[in-house]
Amino acid sequence: MANSHLKYESKKLATWYFTFAAIIFGAQLLFGLVAAIQYVMPSFMFEVVDFSVARMIHINALVVWMVFAMFGSVYWLLPDETGIETVGVGIGKLLFWAFAAAIVVVVLVYLFIQVGPADETTIWFIHEGREYIEAPRWADFAIVVVALGFVANLYMTGIKGNRSGIVTVLMADMIAFSGLYLTGMFYTDNISMDQFWWWWVIHLWVEATWEVFVGALAAYGLITMIGAHRKVVEMWLWIEVAMLFGSGILGMGHHYFWIGTPEYWWEIGALFSALEPLPLVAMFIHVLYDWGKMQGQEDAKGLEQSVITNKPAFTWFILNAFGNFLGAGIWGFFHTLPQVNLYTHGTQFTSAHGHLAFFGAYATILIGMMYLGVQGKNGIKIMRHTKSSIWATSMIFGGVLGMTMALTIAGYADFIISRAQWGATWEGYFAGQSGVWYLQGMNWRLIMGVVTFIGFLFLVKDLLSTGRAAHHER
Amino acid sequence: MAKKSVWSDNRFWQRSAGWVTGVASVLLMWLTFDTIPQITLGTDADLENGVTKRVPGPTVINYKITYEMDKKRHHEVPVIGGANAEGKSSFQEKEKFFGRDDWSEEEARALLRLGKLGSQAKNCMNCHTLLGNGAYYAPDLTKAWLDPAWGPNGPMQAMTGKNTKEEAMAEFLQFPSQYPTHARMMPNLGITAEEAKGLVAFLKHMSSIDTNGFPRNFGKIEGAVHGK
Amino acid sequence: MNVMFEPFVDVVPSFFGTLAQGPLTLTIFLHTLIVLPMFWIYRQEKARLEQEG
Repeated sequence: MANSHLKYESKKLATWYFTFAAIIFGAQLLFGLVAAIQYVMPSFMFEVVDFSVARMIHINALVVWMVFAMFGSVYWLLPDETGIETVGVGIGKLLFWAFAAAIVVVVLVYLFIQVGPADETTIWFIHEGREYIEAPRWADFAIVVVALGFVANLYMTGIKGNRSGIVTVLMADMIAFSGLYLTGMFYTDNISMDQFWWWWVIHLWVEATWEVFVGALAAYGLITMIGAHRKVVEMWLWIEVAMLFGSGILGMGHHYFWIGTPEYWWEIGALFSALEPLPLVAMFIHVLYDWGKMQGQEDAKGLEQSVITNKPAFTWFILNAFGNFLGAGIWGFFHTLPQVNLYTHGTQFTSAHGHLAFFGAYATILIGMMYLGVQGKNGIKIMRHTKSSIWATSMIFGGVLGMTMALTIAGYADFIISRAQWGATWEGYFAGQSGVWYLQGMNWRLIMGVVTFIGFLFLVKDLLSTGRAAHHER
Repeated sequence: MAKKSVWSDNRFWQRSAGWVTGVASVLLMWLTFDTIPQITLGTDADLENGVTKRVPGPTVINYKITYEMDKKRHHEVPVIGGANAEGKSSFQEKEKFFGRDDWSEEEARALLRLGKLGSQAKNCMNCHTLLGNGAYYAPDLTKAWLDPAWGPNGPMQAMTGKNTKEEAMAEFLQFPSQYPTHARMMPNLGITAEEAKGLVAFLKHMSSIDTNGFPRNFGKIEGAVHGK
Repeated sequence: MNVMFEPFVDVVPSFFGTLAQGPLTLTIFLHTLIVLPMFWIYRQEKARLEQEG
């Protein structure tokens, strides 16, 4: 970081967050591969790193790297939006190291201790055994402290500097994002109550606050990368916030169909969550529309050049607009109605949706932000693709799309055979698992997982080396 | 000068976004206050007095539980202690659980707590689904207690050589890799005899939760079309 | 009671359970609460724009 072009400490801190996020992203993919191999070859690492352990690291690393990249993105865009250095950036740096250290300890404990006795010490010191928010209670408190520091920095900077629409949305969004984590920090003997509040964290993160966060990032990206007009972009952002929260908050009902909660949630969950794809369509149209408009203005001036100042990042932003709509919108809608969900709930269909939605909605745009970081750090005016960036983009996107298709087909076998035909018993479950579509699907998923991982290697190589490439305009 | 449209005005959308978010949040909280009492754990008195709860009290382990079609709701619901003339839970018929059908409220609560903590400590949810949520590497456990495979004529009970469902399940949980059913096996998670008992109580209790008919047709279809 | 309204089926009678008996009545109620007041926001903003213009 010696010859950095970064003027703001906030942006330097952002690059730390991006770097750590990329490392954890690698861990996510690696343990995803272990789990994928186990589907095809169940004896692989049996009673060494079992599926439950591999999968816990796979999904927890997913959440963690995204949170790191999200914090990094905020620290990156704050100086641009507010016009000032982030207030409390020194504390931000301290919190970064605390956060990173906590995560390393948590992952090592997951990997080497794995399970504990059935008492509260396990929940405090090993893991909580609750999907996505497995982090032990001590780490929960560490995360709360880090999040509080982060939100405080954001608020102090927003209040002191120029508070743009984007910063206003982020301030409202990040406090909700952090506050919701608290609803997942308690223990209860009642599994229905447990899952009721568990969804407050998971759903209100990924189908509400995270989506709004992506809307804000997309707005920032359009302004910085193609020079879109702030007023138009921010109007779209407010429309998206209204639609995302309007559908997403009560869309929570689609998780309350079968966990012991009253029947009225069928109607609430069905109708509100059915509207959730709408803002995603809007975001897709908005990004493409603004791009076409800005390029059209450039063309009208008779200038035969692209308006895009960062090709790889913009590619990822476009893939975000598309992937969010496809993975979260279409794949989500597939199984959101209770009459469908009765059979698809908890099958590989869910897994197909999970892969494309997390990737399409979040991974894409956060990788885009990493490219913005590389551009800024190396003082590049117009950043172009390299061979590696093109390989990385196509292999990662193609790989995840391939995994999604494979899991969808496996999911058909899973829910038609084990759910609809056999009524979800032990025997029915394994009848579904031995279906031909299922077995083929799992083989293809592994192949496509390997493709994704190779793509990731290209991505790392490109992020590390593209800053020195000679063909960018400086 | 042409009049500016409200539809392209940022302030209008900003205020609308604030309004929509606020009202949706308030509605969610209102619904939460309505739902929470309905999914609160019931008590032993509820079971004694024949009060149907969505989530019955822990002493439900003293009762026989079945999963029957509800004529009014058009899906299956857990029936506790046998059905009355209307097909609802009659809370009459008891069933021995590890040799007893008189587990007190404290004892049953302690057992459920041990089982619930065990389900988290042993990371069940990252292979199985509970109430349909979790991972998809192993069978759904929502109604596992009612699975015919563990019943008197089921292959699982026979395999463990035990005489009751609860003993067979507890044996399997303690030594899962000794009883492989498929190439994909459950690993040994160091579950003690006491923890296994708690986990089975947790599973029996979970099967008594009213899940609005999920999973549909559980255990009703034997030898349906083979999925090959 | 005609066929448009079903008998109450939920385990515990509650305000929302009651509203959920008719065709989409509950969701229409909630959507209305959320969307309808935007009309007043629209009118206020229109008046403001006219004043400014």
